[in-house]
Amino acid sequence: MKKSSTSPAPSLRADQAVRRGPAMQILVDGCPVDAFEGESVAAALFAAGRRELRRSPRDHAPRGMFCLMGSCQECLVWIEARKLPACQVPAAAGMEIETLGFREQRLG
Amino acid sequence: MVDVRPAPIDLLVIGAGPAGARAALRAQSCGLEVLLVDENGDAGGQVWRPLPPGFKRAAGVPHSAEALQGDALRAELGRSGIQCLFGHKVWNVGSSLRTDLIGPEGVASWQPRALLVATGTTERVVPFAGWTLPGVIGLAAATILLKSQNMLPGRRTVVAGSGPLLLAVANGILKAGGEVTAVLDLASRGDWLQTLPSLASRPDLLWQGAQWQARLRRAGVPMLYRHGIASVEAGGKGFRVHAQQVDKTGMPVPGAASPIFEADAVAVGHGLVPGTDVTRLLRARHRYEASRGGWIADADPQGRTSVAGLYVAGDGAGIAGAAAAGIHGELAAVACAHDLGRLSAEAHTRERDRLLAQWHKPARFGRAMAGLMALREGTVASIASDTVVCRCEDVTRAEIDAAAREGARDMNQLKAWTRCGMGPCQGRTCGDVAAAVLAVHVGSREAVGCFTGRAPLRPVSLAEVAGNYTYADIPIPKAAPL
Amino acid sequence: MSVNLRASAPYDAIVIGGGVMGCSTALHLAQGGMRVALVDRGPLCREASGVNAGTLTLHMTRAALVPYAMRAWQMWMESEKWLGMGVLATHVPGLTLAFTEAECELVELRAKARREYGAPIEVISAARAREIEPGVHPGLLKAGYCDIDGFASAYLTGRAFRHALAAAGVDVIENTPVEGIDSGDAGHVVRFGGAAGREALQARRVVLAGGVWIENMLAWLGVQIPIKVLINQLIITERVRPLMRTVLSVANGLLSLKQFANGTVLIGGGWQGDGDRERGGVEARPQNLVGNMRLAAYAVPALAEARIARIWLGLEAETADAMPIIGDVPGVPQAYVVGSAHSGYTSGPFMGRIMAQHILGQQPELPLFDPARLLGMPMPGN
Repeated sequence: MKKSSTSPAPSLRADQAVRRGPAMQILVDGCPVDAFEGESVAAALFAAGRRELRRSPRDHAPRGMFCLMGSCQECLVWIEARKLPACQVPAAAGMEIETLGFREQRLG
Repeated sequence: MVDVRPAPIDLLVIGAGPAGARAALRAQSCGLEVLLVDENGDAGGQVWRPLPPGFKRAAGVPHSAEALQGDALRAELGRSGIQCLFGHKVWNVGSSLRTDLIGPEGVASWQPRALLVATGTTERVVPFAGWTLPGVIGLAAATILLKSQNMLPGRRTVVAGSGPLLLAVANGILKAGGEVTAVLDLASRGDWLQTLPSLASRPDLLWQGAQWQARLRRAGVPMLYRHGIASVEAGGKGFRVHAQQVDKTGMPVPGAASPIFEADAVAVGHGLVPGTDVTRLLRARHRYEASRGGWIADADPQGRTSVAGLYVAGDGAGIAGAAAAGIHGELAAVACAHDLGRLSAEAHTRERDRLLAQWHKPARFGRAMAGLMALREGTVASIASDTVVCRCEDVTRAEIDAAAREGARDMNQLKAWTRCGMGPCQGRTCGDVAAAVLAVHVGSREAVGCFTGRAPLRPVSLAEVAGNYTYADIPIPKAAPL
Repeated sequence: MSVNLRASAPYDAIVIGGGVMGCSTALHLAQGGMRVALVDRGPLCREASGVNAGTLTLHMTRAALVPYAMRAWQMWMESEKWLGMGVLATHVPGLTLAFTEAECELVELRAKARREYGAPIEVISAARAREIEPGVHPGLLKAGYCDIDGFASAYLTGRAFRHALAAAGVDVIENTPVEGIDSGDAGHVVRFGGAAGREALQARRVVLAGGVWIENMLAWLGVQIPIKVLINQLIITERVRPLMRTVLSVANGLLSLKQFANGTVLIGGGWQGDGDRERGGVEARPQNLVGNMRLAAYAVPALAEARIARIWLGLEAETADAMPIIGDVPGVPQAYVVGSAHSGYTSGPFMGRIMAQHILGQQPELPLFDPARLLGMPMPGN
């Protein structure tokens, strides 16, 4: 089980019952993050220790994945010019992901 | 999306969980042309979630009954040749039942003769201080994380809320090598004992429940009945979870000890709410039944709604559990086949009665579980004023109460006055709880109603709907008067 | 809001219809000293007045209505003062865009027609338009520019008026459908539907302010004037980064586009959905959603990536000559009607004020629109 390069803690991935897809890297806000092919982007970010994904509109409170079924829209990220719930997107090698705040800053 | 697909579809099924998948299979066997649509990558819904693409079940390891059931269903669907559109979201349905989808290749519309909505439920989480912190996830969410993504919510997780998912998640965490800091259950041991008669027909589940209890005991996991979460705050290695003792309505017991647990994750859920997005959009009649999860389409036992050609099945039609959902799907399929003239009255009556007889026992169990998950008025009453209720728009309980005091009498007025429900989740996350809060002022859930159903059913972008075009492609009706 | 049942004493006026026209009329009548009741079969301002695009523009207002819209614009911008609660009225300039030669001609024509009525609209070059609104499509040819423009959040209107009406002592009776009106020499008796369980109310004067339902209300008084019902589609996006600084429209009149302070973008323009007076807005027409969205994403290309949060429908009323109906109900003493103006929200507060002035026996600031002209006027073919 590969240790994530962005998290100091032991991995949250549990391999007792499953053989994962190949280990690879995705790009998150320009930085490489270890992930496994096919797992949801939300899970990959979560396992990498990136639990905060955005800020709430009025209170600017930190938010992250919540319902994991594409309903709550808390885990929104930008993937290839589309704003999508990260929990519904399977990670692929080299996938470029931007968090909402990062992209908003980039575009000015 | 303007050009509708010409292939004649008799029945379009939205949702490939236990109800929808079984309905599709049954409808096909009745000779109907079926199209099965699901936003997920494969069939199974929530309860039988497929593994992520590219993952394989480990060999030489015993897999859960649920995993095997899900795999079997997916295999059966695969063999059936039923047209399945996975990874497609339904974003609009017209009054003719024309269904507008968005998928990897863009938008497309289908015009079936009948529509079956088997979209299941969403999770209800009653707000408490700190519930929006990253790392606090739903109980059903934790189930998905464990069973599908094969990932722990944290190294040390507090599991809280109500219903059968509590033990399932706690055990899933232990099996996956994690630690359960505590299990906080709003129910009492007595509440659980009362569900025993419904389990009479399911010795396997009784056995599983006992195993789960035993494992938790062996692992030394504190199991606190009649306890809820008062608040979660960031601190230490993650969170400090303040538990509180509650009465049977979920109301905190004053003066009782408040244990504090250190954890790095919280999985919390207070039941499931039937998804009525599509049926509300189509203006079907609905009724409120707390014991079935809340608002549901007003339907007959086979799922016929007040809108001709529109059927509902599964937990989305009223919580009755996964086993009952499959049978309900079949009931809807035979009803539809009969209504479309493809099944004789006698054959229909025979099948209907046979299926109904099969449905009762699993439904009884499912309903008992739904009872454990029902919204308790004390949990709603104890939501603090400054707690966010509408996550999308940061609307607090105080703002909802203020709107009510000023005269907001129904959910749509509440929405107009507070923005509660105007965000990207379209009221799915907050709607049930916000309605419960407003109902305290107004008098009943029936009186406050629901948010009016609107398209899009899921967010779609302008680009996705507009497609590729030039200025000349824009169909301009006549210009406005001078 | 409960009403004293000593309401057996006749009101000076009962206003039927609690949209912006009815609310404004009732408010000004009360401030003029009358004892007023305002009745609506639902909550205040939840029909057209609560669901429209909130555009406060002169570009898309009928030329002849520009003087009215300009005065109403002032009222909206000051709404916090006279309503006690605002509707987030925001002053930004308005641009009406031309992407084709034909649209350039339209821009010139429309600007000229409105200037004649006092609107400060000038035609500007694409380069200048881009300085004002950098995000506009590079293919822009020309634009009409008006400094007096802006928007409000229509859904806040009901709450704002409720405060003002209560403060003015108006008896607000919501969720109470009127069934009919019996008119005589002494005044009118307003009867309610049986389910309302409410006694009839008497008034010296009655004001019909029912928007698209003015046709039904006039029929209560035995007057036949057809009111056309438009089913306008509206689209609001999720919050997006700042993409616009102005209110945008297109010369053909079929786009309204604005970005609120909270980042959401409202797309309108009068694209039609399906529905009718009885059922309300039923559903959007897919090809009209596509058309509206394409126009919006063309005008501001960066909008294409925005996700749609909600689509809804609102009913707009239009008379046979597309001008408002404001004045005395023909043949019925002490009965008045106010409404059915294209872009009625924009001009609504002022229309209510001049209606009230007329009823109070004052000279209205600007001329009314005699309902009698519409008697026998055929509704143009669709």
